[in-house]
Amino acid sequence: MTAQTLMKDAPIAATEKSALSIIDYSLSYKTANGLIPALQNIDLTIPKGKTVGLVGESGSGKSSMAWSIMRYLPSNAVETGGAIRLAGEELLDYTPFQMMDIRGRRMSMVFQDPSTSLNPTIRLGEQIAEVLMRHRGLTKVQAFAEAEAALARTGITRPKEMLQRFPHEASGGEKQRVVIATAFACEPELIIFDEPTTALDILTARQILDLFNQLRDETNVSALYISHDLGLVSRVVDEVNVLHKGVIVERGAVDEVFRKPSAPYTRQLIGAVPNPDRWIGADAPAEPQTLVKLDKIGVHYGAPSRIQKMFWPEDADNVGFWGAKDVAFEVRRGELLGVVGESGSGKSTIAKVLAGLQDFEGRLEFDGKNVASRKAIDRAYRRRVQIVFQHPDASLNPRQKIGKILSRPLKLYGIVPRDQIKARIAELLEMVRLPAEFADRYPHELSGGQKQRVAIARAFAAEPELVICDEVTAALDVSVQAAVAELLVKLQKDTGAACVFITHDLNLIRQLAHRIAVMHHGKLVDFFDRADARSDDRDAYTKALLDAVPVHAAPQETASA
Amino acid sequence: MRNFFSTPTAIVGTALLSIVCFAAIFGPFIAPYDPQAFDALNRLQGPSMAHWLGTDQFGRDLLSRILTGAPSTVAFGVGATVVGVGIGSIIGVVAGVSGGWVDSTIMRILDGLLAVPDLLFTLLIVTILGGGMEHAMLAVSIAFAPGMARISRSAVLSVRTRDYVRAAVARGESGFYIVRAEVLPNALSPIVVEATIRVSFAIMIGATLGFLGLGAQPPSTEWGLMVAEARQFMFRNPWCVAVPGLSIAIAALGFNLFGDALRDSLDPKRSHG
Repeated sequence: MTAQTLMKDAPIAATEKSALSIIDYSLSYKTANGLIPALQNIDLTIPKGKTVGLVGESGSGKSSMAWSIMRYLPSNAVETGGAIRLAGEELLDYTPFQMMDIRGRRMSMVFQDPSTSLNPTIRLGEQIAEVLMRHRGLTKVQAFAEAEAALARTGITRPKEMLQRFPHEASGGEKQRVVIATAFACEPELIIFDEPTTALDILTARQILDLFNQLRDETNVSALYISHDLGLVSRVVDEVNVLHKGVIVERGAVDEVFRKPSAPYTRQLIGAVPNPDRWIGADAPAEPQTLVKLDKIGVHYGAPSRIQKMFWPEDADNVGFWGAKDVAFEVRRGELLGVVGESGSGKSTIAKVLAGLQDFEGRLEFDGKNVASRKAIDRAYRRRVQIVFQHPDASLNPRQKIGKILSRPLKLYGIVPRDQIKARIAELLEMVRLPAEFADRYPHELSGGQKQRVAIARAFAAEPELVICDEVTAALDVSVQAAVAELLVKLQKDTGAACVFITHDLNLIRQLAHRIAVMHHGKLVDFFDRADARSDDRDAYTKALLDAVPVHAAPQETASA
Repeated sequence: MRNFFSTPTAIVGTALLSIVCFAAIFGPFIAPYDPQAFDALNRLQGPSMAHWLGTDQFGRDLLSRILTGAPSTVAFGVGATVVGVGIGSIIGVVAGVSGGWVDSTIMRILDGLLAVPDLLFTLLIVTILGGGMEHAMLAVSIAFAPGMARISRSAVLSVRTRDYVRAAVARGESGFYIVRAEVLPNALSPIVVEATIRVSFAIMIGATLGFLGLGAQPPSTEWGLMVAEARQFMFRNPWCVAVPGLSIAIAALGFNLFGDALRDSLDPKRSHG
């Protein structure tokens, strides 16, 4: 790789001293329930010019690590020992005032979501220039010239124009480039990347990763790359550390860790990464029978009002924004149909139309009967079509116990007689592999994965014929994600319900779906059988998506897990 | 709620509120003197063993007058708030749930009403209806309704787009069930908190109306009226103005601090931590 050839040219003395070394560092948080350890005895070294990855699931302490390096911890954090040294200097001894000078100049950070890490009321140019003026003592004119050069290096085509824009006038990828340009602007010794691609679409994320590799080669910066995604990390780092519950359970060169993971946790993590070649779905229905048919379905957000239509009929199409247009496909009984697309592609809009939450134009046919509009959807349809949402925290009413939440569809549709509701709830909980005692708990007492299981149980309680899963695994950790996906397939197999599974994760959907629909900018661009995913007549966009996702062979030991 | 007393605000607020409530419930029974008994020999006295808080221009015992005035003052504040919150929340919930042009129409009218300051609005209503305790209370509650409607509407709106409400819609639940079981329980806490804080404003507006002679009429022991009556004797005995004035301040502060503390403890980010 180019990274390695460049490394050889770098002065040898520079590589000897480590850019960052963390020695036996521990951190706890003071809470109402006493001290809760977040990091325990962390040892981590980043040699000069190298990139080290830190991988862990939510709650593993990876973000705490980033903040302790930046010396920006919340007031209830208690450091219980250890050292953090930047180029040999002890950061723990610096005052907050001294750290203000080090942050930005010698260390900088790139955050997950570029839309929240940029100030929406300040032009992008000023945000970069401010850093340069503060840390490098440039004048305003110099800083703007430098900012333009920095943006040009990140591959933005018209850097001068970009400087004059506000954050909302740039796309997510462009914004993240600006953030990265800012981070590199003062030529820091260390850059911390905290999930820099998680909030971006697959294709953009891929470009950002390439940009990162290119900039790293050019500047020879040392970096700590934090992510929950092992596959992604493997593409940018030299060494990887796996963090689990505040302890580094495994470290080593990327290939080593991937091929021969030693810690059981790493093995579990790698096994859970979706692998498109490992099919876990149910058998396809023997005889294809159409359950739902969508024809020319369109959703017009901000549609023109009646008065506008009357006076300016020619503008009717250009007012507002089409969330989906001319979408046509059918769902067969008992099949799992995957709908793939980036954010804003209209995949969730289609979910809302099917669930009767969104007004639509066009023809929707359910079980041979025509459904004219959202208002024509009756309770019988609503029982037969159920939806599971993305965020389990938001889809369960926080003031109702799990038992009450599950009892609602049973009562509403009269699925079982009233005296058997309690028994049925226990059955439902068992069906999603949760203990029956959970019926007496409130949602906030459950973990994210458990809550999503409850939401799935609620959907299946109505004994539906079609379940719409809108990004149900997106908010979950990798290991939980795999379990939820498997549960869904099992339920689908047992009940014979059809499922529309909406996701941005191509690898995952290729494990589950019988057929896959690809959406882009509100239009259906491709629709194919899962076996044909790699055939030549795929749409160019589908091909780009397939090429952008990292696919890696699972290690031998975990292939059977 | 377990950590409710962890802040000084909550402790002070609850302490003040307990004193005020105690006075409001038991005040008339424990008052040492008849609040209307004149005592020509002991006019405008400072605190003494016989009269703990001194006497007013007619020699009436101030402590007894404060204690007997407590029920009507607190009742005025709570009553006006309950009625105002009731009217306001119903309007706000209707606007928030129905949306569309119903919402726009209601909110534009309320915006117009909100532009008039509370006190001015109250004075206007009292002038139209005529003075007296009941009319003053009605006026305050009407003046409160637009603000409460705004708060309850925003609470409803923030809940209405949550996934659990959309799940209920997708399930085919009736509108009434969705509002009653899914929306209201989750929108209630900001409304309750705001109501608690508003009691203090109501007490102060009530006192102001009393002071202006538009609320309670003499010889009532309403605190605002007491301040107004004693005003001309302020320099001969500051106590007869300071005592009812301080009582109003304590009551208002008590409700206000308690409301603040309640808001902090009901905030899910803090209580489920």
